[in-house]
Amino acid sequence: MRLHLLALLAKEPAHGYELKLALEQTFGEAYPSPNIGQIYVTLKRLEQDGLVCSEDVTQTDRPNKRVYELTPAGREVLDAWVAEPSEGPRVRDEFFIKLILVPMAGLADRMKLINSQRRHYLGIMRNLTALAATSETADPPARLLIEGAILHLQADLDWLERCQEELV
Amino acid sequence: MNDPVLRTRGLAKVYRADGVAAEAIRGVDIEVGAGEFVAIMGPSGSGKSTLLHVLGGLEPATRGEIWLRGQRVERLSTAAWAILRRRHVGFVFQSFNLLSNMTVADNVELPALLAGASPKQARKRREELLGELGLTAKAHAAPSRLSGGEQQRVALARALANEPSLLLADEPTGNLDSIGARDVLRLLQRTHDNGQAILLVSHDARVASRADRVIHLFDGMVADDAPVIRAPRPVRDVVGDVLELRG
Amino acid sequence: MRGTIRWARADLRARRGQALLTIGAVAGVVAALVLATMLLEGAVNPWKALFARTHGADMVMYLAHGTDPEALDHLPRIRQVGVPYYTAPATLEQQAVKSPVQLVAMGPRLPQMSTPIVVAGSWLRGGDADGVVVEASFAAAVHAGLDDQIRVQSVDADVVLMKIIGIADTADQGFYPQWTPGLIWVQQAALNRVEPIAAEQEEVVGLRLTSTSPQVEGEVAQNINDTYQSYTGRLVIERFSTAAQVEASMASNDRLVGLLLAVFGIIALVAAPCAIANVTAGRVLMYRQDIAMLKALGFTPGQVIRMLVGTQMLLGIVGACLGVLAARVVTAPAFVRPPAGSAVGLAPLPGWWVTLIAAGVVATVAVATLIPAWWAGRVSPVAAVRVTPPRGHLSRIARLGLLVHLPAPLVLGARDSLNRRLPALLTVFGVAIPLVVITIALSCWSTIDGFKGDPARIGLAATLNVTGPSAAGVHDSDRAQVEAAFPADSFPTLVPGGNGTFTALAIGDSAGSRRYPFHVVQGSMYDSPQQAVAGQGFLDLTGLSVGEWVTVSIEGRNVTVRIVGRVLDPVDNGDVLAFGRDALTKQGIGPQPPQYYSVELRPGVSAAAAKARLSRNGLSVTEVANPADSLGVVRVVIVVSVVVLAVIALANLLTATAIGLRDHRHETGVLAAIGLTPRQVMTTLVVNTTILTLIGVAGGLVAGLVVAPRLINMQGRSSGLGAEIYAGPSALMVAFVVCISVFVATSAAVLLARRTMSGFMRNERWLHEPELATG
Repeated sequence: MRLHLLALLAKEPAHGYELKLALEQTFGEAYPSPNIGQIYVTLKRLEQDGLVCSEDVTQTDRPNKRVYELTPAGREVLDAWVAEPSEGPRVRDEFFIKLILVPMAGLADRMKLINSQRRHYLGIMRNLTALAATSETADPPARLLIEGAILHLQADLDWLERCQEELV
Repeated sequence: MNDPVLRTRGLAKVYRADGVAAEAIRGVDIEVGAGEFVAIMGPSGSGKSTLLHVLGGLEPATRGEIWLRGQRVERLSTAAWAILRRRHVGFVFQSFNLLSNMTVADNVELPALLAGASPKQARKRREELLGELGLTAKAHAAPSRLSGGEQQRVALARALANEPSLLLADEPTGNLDSIGARDVLRLLQRTHDNGQAILLVSHDARVASRADRVIHLFDGMVADDAPVIRAPRPVRDVVGDVLELRG
Repeated sequence: MRGTIRWARADLRARRGQALLTIGAVAGVVAALVLATMLLEGAVNPWKALFARTHGADMVMYLAHGTDPEALDHLPRIRQVGVPYYTAPATLEQQAVKSPVQLVAMGPRLPQMSTPIVVAGSWLRGGDADGVVVEASFAAAVHAGLDDQIRVQSVDADVVLMKIIGIADTADQGFYPQWTPGLIWVQQAALNRVEPIAAEQEEVVGLRLTSTSPQVEGEVAQNINDTYQSYTGRLVIERFSTAAQVEASMASNDRLVGLLLAVFGIIALVAAPCAIANVTAGRVLMYRQDIAMLKALGFTPGQVIRMLVGTQMLLGIVGACLGVLAARVVTAPAFVRPPAGSAVGLAPLPGWWVTLIAAGVVATVAVATLIPAWWAGRVSPVAAVRVTPPRGHLSRIARLGLLVHLPAPLVLGARDSLNRRLPALLTVFGVAIPLVVITIALSCWSTIDGFKGDPARIGLAATLNVTGPSAAGVHDSDRAQVEAAFPADSFPTLVPGGNGTFTALAIGDSAGSRRYPFHVVQGSMYDSPQQAVAGQGFLDLTGLSVGEWVTVSIEGRNVTVRIVGRVLDPVDNGDVLAFGRDALTKQGIGPQPPQYYSVELRPGVSAAAAKARLSRNGLSVTEVANPADSLGVVRVVIVVSVVVLAVIALANLLTATAIGLRDHRHETGVLAAIGLTPRQVMTTLVVNTTILTLIGVAGGLVAGLVVAPRLINMQGRSSGLGAEIYAGPSALMVAFVVCISVFVATSAAVLLARRTMSGFMRNERWLHEPELATG
């Protein structure tokens, strides 16, 4: 979340609510956007780390809004993040652990585990494809997000099949 | 459920080559109800395509029973199967669905003519079907002039021309790009919405997940047979079930 | 039903070129067969029909003048005896040309046996003593017509003027000029004017027998001689001719023609199913995908078979009809035309014959189609056909080829063709068989050219026969044109044993430079008066062979000679025994002036021109018929056959190329992936398809050149001409055929390959996903 906000602020200063709106508009309905509270907390942390600075703007018939702005240090952090490739585990390690360890303890049948996981994935896929159908007129970022999820899910399903072949 | 369109019991198919017997499917029991959309998934070599071919009478079963519309059909002769297919079974393959020496229009009219319709009736049905697909302009083109997606949609339309009891499809989007696949998928959905019973083989979860039920084949046998349950989720969380956007 | 019709219609429309080729091939085959059958003897021999209509005589006996024919009635095996009439030889002077004629005396009443059929004008009339009727073929040959005045010159050179009041056909003798002399019917009074000495007039009686065979005829002749000998003490038969002889001579050249054409016909009958099976099998191979789809759609195997056989049969029927039409058109100018004015009115074959041939060819088409179609019926309806790659590991030859750095396309192309056995065989045979027949056809052509260009090779050294008062000096008078002139006498003679007649030919000297230049094919030429040479026909007739002695009776005297050689003789169908004239004088016959002079012309001098010049010098000149003249018919058929066969070969070639390209389409992606440029890929495709066709061409040529001499000499032998008539096609001609075949094969392959490749080039994804490439 931190880097999302830094990237948005690099474009122009904004206050918390504007940032939330920007995220939603950019990534569309499917974006699991955090609540506003989470944004404010993150902004505060960023300010504490010196990556953003804030300013109060007085408004006539509304409470004051706090406008945040990117600092040079924040800019540096952002640039470094852009330059580095993103890492992060994609492995559904929780299920994998379950699949390997649980049958050894005699707690469940591997085939049943796999079937159950697959049914779950198919259900999700159903949702995703329905969502993809309704998002056809949306902007590319929104569509690509959904497409990415679909492809990853397909990969998960294929991996599930491989597990089945080898382990069952 | 009321009488299923398709029912099998203990279906098996054994191939013999060079004295070695290979069991492609062994002991398969499945059912497809009227208007039901069933998908068959499984790794390659699991016997998915073989199952479909046997169910459509393209290959004879070695053992077991097949009931189509309440009639036992696994022992029918090649000719009798052919006649049965005309009226009751529509087939769509992964590729090479259209006859290369006939125009698109001829291709679509052929099943109707085969089933005994007059040329005028056949033409009317063809105009309907092509109109629905938005391909009227290409009626008199050679099949090779259509894109892959268009060819498959025409093939699908042709397979449905005689309003068969069951539509069998073997990886219909296998050779298509994403746009073609999307178009074919939409057509399948519409067909399903019209109450057509569909049995389809696909490794593509996008396609399979649209089915009412998914049968998973493993090593020639049914490993799983369960309906696809659309877990109710708010839109926001759908992608989040797969991707975690961190940063 | 409708489904099958719709598919068949669409298929014919989509593959128009192939359909047309099939139709063309069938039409050609049918036309060839019809032509061939027409000329087989017995089916349509204009003479035979004429014989039937005129109540012809089985034997025509030339008896000693004054013989009483009454005794003939009581002899066994004689069914009917004709009314005797008299005849005498003469010469006709017409338009400065002299022709030998036979004057036959008849009355105003038409005879019952050997009835001449009047085709123009009228028969002999009561009060018209000078009115005569001329035989039709003779009239046409000498350009004599109704109401013409003709000058008939007797043996003593007296000229009698006569007027032609009618033209008629008869079957008693063959058509002029194959059979001489010409025939003129006159009133007895007119005959007496020409030949006043009654004893010189021959008495002619026609006989109809209870059965006809050389044996029976021989017995009858023997009987007659014996019977009359006891009365008159001498042989009463001077000579006789039989209907069988006339028929044989009439058909003789036609028989060679007919045999040659029958051979064509049989080979065509074999080639046609092969060609059609090839084309159909090829189409079925190409259609595997579609056939599988059809079955998935719900066509039963029976329907699939019916569709394939049905479309082919339809094409076959259309082709057969066209073929029949073509045969009619070609024969309308009636190359088998009987001489002008004939009343026979030749219609080509009887309708049912033609129908039979056409139906036979169509049936052959059906049968030839049935096997590939049955196989198609069994093609699995599972459309997932990745055509299995050839069961080829890179063969040792190919590996070697790559090792020595042969261009990769060449090696890869060759490997493919060597690995796919069935389609390869189909291709090779489909091209080889038509080429065998084409080679045989070309050999026939060159053989016929040999007849014309080098008549001496077939025993026709002398091309003109000259008679007349100044004939003896013909050589001296015209050295520019005349190479040599041989005095000759020819005697129709009874075969010892009496079962036939042959020609005893006394010509030139028996030794030295004045011997007639016979073409000896077996043994050697005679060089003494006791030696003779014989034709194949004579040897067949008598059952003798070279080296044996024979005694024949000529002019009442016995002449004994030893046969030392066999010669080619196209004039008398080989029914000839020849020796020097001094052989006769040794036996006490003669010396007498020769009947005619046999003139050999200088090389390069045309017979027609020489004839014209010599005739103007007051000589009577006839041309010796060259078999090549009547074989002109065969030339037409050769051209037609070669065209038809070329079409069949082309059809096979195109089909094979198309199959090859289609099968290898998916391989092109692989070939490109391993590093061949598009041009190299195309070369591979081309090499692959042309190698097989070239093997077919070479094989066909060689087989044809081996078979043709045997075949042609066989025909020559059985037609009585004698063997060794074969003259092979020139090296130039062979080279030409080879070049044309190579050119066509490669062009076809290149053109088709280019079309396939351009389809790929347009869609760039071919390199990665060859199976997506359509079109």
